[in-house]
Amino acid sequence: MGVSLKKVAKDFGAVRVIKDVSMDIPTGSFAVFVGPSGCGKSTLLRMIAGLEDTSDGAILIDDRNVTQVEPSDRGVAMVFQSYALYPHLTVFENMAFSLRLARTKKAEVQKMVGEAARILQLTDHLDKKPSALSGGQRQRVAIGRAIVRDPKVFLFDEPLSNLDAELRVAMRLELTRLHRKIGATMIYVTHDQVEAMTLADKIFVLKDGIVQQAGAPLDLYDDPDNRFVAGFIGSPAMTFIPATVIGRDADNLVLRTEGVEAHDFRAAVRSEAATGATVHIGVRPEHWRIDPEGMPVRVEVSEELGDVSYLHTRLNDETEIIVERKGSRESLDGKSIGITADPEHVLVFDVDGQRLR
Amino acid sequence: MNTRRLESAIVTGFTIIVALIWVFPLYWALVTSLRSENRVVSRPGLLPDEFNIGNYADALFNTQLLTWYVNSVGTAVIVTVVVILISMMCAYALSQINFPGRRLLYLVVLASFMIPSQALVVTQFILMDQFRLINTWGGIILPQLIVPVTIIVYKQFFDSVPREMREAAVLDGGGDYAILFKLFLPLNWGITTALAIVTFIGVWNAFFWPFLVITSEDMMTIPVGITQVNDAFGLAYARLMSVALLAALPVVLAYLIFQRRVTEAVMISSGVKG
Repeated sequence: MGVSLKKVAKDFGAVRVIKDVSMDIPTGSFAVFVGPSGCGKSTLLRMIAGLEDTSDGAILIDDRNVTQVEPSDRGVAMVFQSYALYPHLTVFENMAFSLRLARTKKAEVQKMVGEAARILQLTDHLDKKPSALSGGQRQRVAIGRAIVRDPKVFLFDEPLSNLDAELRVAMRLELTRLHRKIGATMIYVTHDQVEAMTLADKIFVLKDGIVQQAGAPLDLYDDPDNRFVAGFIGSPAMTFIPATVIGRDADNLVLRTEGVEAHDFRAAVRSEAATGATVHIGVRPEHWRIDPEGMPVRVEVSEELGDVSYLHTRLNDETEIIVERKGSRESLDGKSIGITADPEHVLVFDVDGQRLR
Repeated sequence: MNTRRLESAIVTGFTIIVALIWVFPLYWALVTSLRSENRVVSRPGLLPDEFNIGNYADALFNTQLLTWYVNSVGTAVIVTVVVILISMMCAYALSQINFPGRRLLYLVVLASFMIPSQALVVTQFILMDQFRLINTWGGIILPQLIVPVTIIVYKQFFDSVPREMREAAVLDGGGDYAILFKLFLPLNWGITTALAIVTFIGVWNAFFWPFLVITSEDMMTIPVGITQVNDAFGLAYARLMSVALLAALPVVLAYLIFQRRVTEAVMISSGVKG
């Protein structure tokens, strides 16, 4: 196993910010920790790096317990959000810093830095200082500095946050290529679920220091365990509407939304739910269908993106529902329409936010 | 427009007057040092009227000025190097390493900065005497090594180095010494030069402590040595002025070369600029 966490915890004073987190990240995979700010994802990454002490539990890298091992002896390299390049050194010396500290032979240093520079297309910039480079180039130097150490695990702490949108997309692709090329285990922290979805083999969704769900990106998207994951993964986000269980109809649970537009939905849920129980139903924007017989909503604004448009609609009680619409370009702004969804696309969550399956 | 020119003229005129007041003693010392002793005491004029380098030759060859030079350079270099080294290491520890009592230690450094050195002279003298260090290099140098302001300035600068930069170096395998000398020192090279120059000038000009602790003429530094010239030759103004000018020369040269850095250091250590 590349990285294993066994009931890892972290206390800051009396506050426990990481709560008994366990996970297994297979060797060579690309894992992403994602969650809102303050969820503990960066702290967890820093604990794996050894930059934060671990209060409880064990961290294993390549099956070796490194919980009490110095950061430099753990076989990890980290790329920081701010790049953390040494401003007084050239690109070459930045990348060679760890090798120089390890007293590596000159010829070896030349070879290793040269190879990393070639992979990252930095060969022409080796004599420059970081201040003479663009944001994307600086980020590549930071990655180069990590590659040169030939680590077992690469750690990325929101490395693309300081780049503009276009460059972020380009760097995302570069990271995927890099991962395929060098095949090392990579752990990546981000608050951006699009980055998580596009990069990861396995996503860990964190909230309040607890892993809410772990799995392949599409598994989390299609089959979320709870309301938080369902709402966090996917853009635009899933809409939630309060409803009441009113009975069962063959394989489906029948639910009625509350308020003036009371409307019945059917959800493919096998588990039992008491009639009269309060729940939330969740439907992704692309799963809504426009149907005159459906739940009436008022279209406020539609975002036309060419191939697809997003209708920002509201119920009478002001709940906002985003509906994806494909093909048709006829403007619906200000109009009232009806929407509905097929039972297999209607997810149901209990009052605690847990999914009813 | 005219008012502005008038204002500017007044300011310039005032500046010139102040500059003349400041420069006159130096000018007078130079003119006096180039006169013969007789002319100095017989109603000399304001303008230079003699070019007699005899006083300089006398000062250099008939006094122990050269020995005092060597002593001053030696003391100043040793104190500067040691002060910079220990201040830098102390500030690095206070700024970057988490250890119990760190805040308390910093408060002690701050407190020692608030006590005037003159207030400590008697106890320091007794301490040095008990260590049998009176009239030794150790006696001159040791008490001058405690310069809390250098630690405080260094700490301020080290605090502003981004935390991630140190963490990157830790992950790169750097120990604290490697991080200090390969990362923090080069990143703060400017303030290091500035602090070194100010320390050097301070030690070069130090009079009070070396005057107390040294009685042997062979071990005197220049400021203390000058007083001996006075004693040995009676009130020989011209000779005294030439010795004083020779004593000041290295500091003046250092100041002229590193003017910008010295100004910067004085401003930072007096809290004008952070």
